[in-house]
Amino acid sequence: MADHLGVHRSGLTMPVVTPRFIDNAWRRGCDFINMDLEDSVPQHLKGYARTLIKGAIANVTKGGAEAFTRINHDLILADLEGIIWPGLSKVNYPKAEYAEEIQTLDRIISRLERERGIRPGTVEIGANIETSVGVANAYDIAAASPRVREFGGAGGYDMSRDLGVEMFVGFDQFVYGKGEVELAARALGLEPHTAPFTANTTGSVGDPDRAFREAEAARKCGFRVGGGLHPNVVEPQIKGFTPTEEEVEEAHKVLDEYRELEVFGKTWAETDGQIIDRYEAARARKLLDWSAACAVRDQEKAEAVARVEQAGE
Amino acid sequence: MSILIRRSNLMVPVTNAKFVKEAWRHGADAITLDLEDGVVPALKVRARDLVKDAVAAAGKCAAEVFVRVNKEFLAADIDASVWPGLSGIMLPKVESPEDVIEASEVLNSAERNRGIEPGKLHLIVLLESARAVFRMREIIAASDRVSQVGLDESDLAASLRISSLAEHDPFVYARGRVCIEATAAGVQPIGVAHPLGTLPRLLPEEDMLKTATDSKNLGFKGIICPHPSWISSVNTAFTPTESEVDFYTQVREVFAQAIAAGTAAVPFAGRMIDVPVDEWAKVVMATSTACRLRDAEKQAARDAA
Repeated sequence: MADHLGVHRSGLTMPVVTPRFIDNAWRRGCDFINMDLEDSVPQHLKGYARTLIKGAIANVTKGGAEAFTRINHDLILADLEGIIWPGLSKVNYPKAEYAEEIQTLDRIISRLERERGIRPGTVEIGANIETSVGVANAYDIAAASPRVREFGGAGGYDMSRDLGVEMFVGFDQFVYGKGEVELAARALGLEPHTAPFTANTTGSVGDPDRAFREAEAARKCGFRVGGGLHPNVVEPQIKGFTPTEEEVEEAHKVLDEYRELEVFGKTWAETDGQIIDRYEAARARKLLDWSAACAVRDQEKAEAVARVEQAGE
Repeated sequence: MSILIRRSNLMVPVTNAKFVKEAWRHGADAITLDLEDGVVPALKVRARDLVKDAVAAAGKCAAEVFVRVNKEFLAADIDASVWPGLSGIMLPKVESPEDVIEASEVLNSAERNRGIEPGKLHLIVLLESARAVFRMREIIAASDRVSQVGLDESDLAASLRISSLAEHDPFVYARGRVCIEATAAGVQPIGVAHPLGTLPRLLPEEDMLKTATDSKNLGFKGIICPHPSWISSVNTAFTPTESEVDFYTQVREVFAQAIAAGTAAVPFAGRMIDVPVDEWAKVVMATSTACRLRDAEKQAARDAA
């Protein structure tokens, strides 16, 4: 994970069988597009859906987004055969419950990478925790393959059904499971994909204010991965997950002061009520790394969009 | 899909003749006759003699009947409890899988001796210590008889030397873990949202309903009721409401239309309806049906009595 700082602040999950979603995906400004073969695709279209991925990869990535695909829990082999093509960054595997499932995915993906001329290890596995069995086995699942680089879940409709709880209540009914998956991710040095609780009593998926509040709260709790279902939430998520100018300035100040401390052989100081020590310095460095990675990503996307527009004119 | 409906479980000391006699009137899905903390040591032996009649009295309106035994008198207490009409044993202070296995073995021979179908009697397991919370996965999996598992929060607080305060919930982790581990094992977690687990008291019906609803939305499937006044709120909270049933009926219709039109993701009432929402709708409706059947069964027994 050292040389890989994925920037996945915002992304839209969409049924690959709906052409108007797929055709407009590149315009949305997302860091990634998650083409769905699973819950948003009707059973009778599963076979057809997987044939669309190869052609859709170039389409959804032309604005600079990465292409992900969510496969079906019970159709692993057929789905993977259909989707592992150059340009795909990640396979999202829903309802992960056992490490063996992830090892099987890894084996099949490794073979397909070899057969199809993709650099070995390119395709990530998103092992999505959506059941209580998955939470109970979280650590083993997360540790099952080096392809698992972001790890999380433990909320959402599947989890709510499994636990028998309503989705939109005034408290965090998933707090334990989220804690478990975060702990597993952190213990293994993976990027945790979860978020602190922000109440949503209406069930709306397209509320930009709420999306911003949630992303900002998540970033302040140390999370960096977003994603959603509605185009309205893309920009607020990017904004919420990206450090603000003031924060970047503050981080530079902390590092400057910390360097000065070192010159004088001191380990900590307090200025304007803020402690400067090696922990704060490390935090500042991390924020600047993240800010730089976000800036690179934003530039890549802007350039990609400019290229498409130029070609179109 | 067969769903166990055991929403409310009324706890009654077996030595309190009046409570035992009246227990059936409150509409609980289950009644637990207590030989343990509700019975003073001096009466433990005499209490056993009361169980047989109490089982019959408690069960006369179709409530399931359980007996909470003393861990230190396990064999004698179970022996005194296994009579026709008993649904199972509530096992307190479980610390290890061996505790569950031992109880299960005692039940094996009791079932054999009393001509009861082998394996029929359930165990409701209570976790009351840090060790129990730590080992719950093995404990829950120790016997197929385990149908429900819960925390005894007041004993757990004592075990952790916590003085419980209404303002702070000390058991977010333990409660979450019970819900996850039990559900993962196919066993029902039972329990009550903070602060009632540690500070049992009487609440206005509206507050009780809210607490019980929160309990349901933490993942619990029922609540052990120390007082009859809890029962009706608990039964209500764990039964899908009419408006929920209406809403999810519509969800199923809208989703079926979407499938016919070639998509499994469709906006409805500001939400996005896809497979898991439809699956949840099925669960709500199946639960509603199962609750209705259970309530009808109790009503029929009442009418007959």
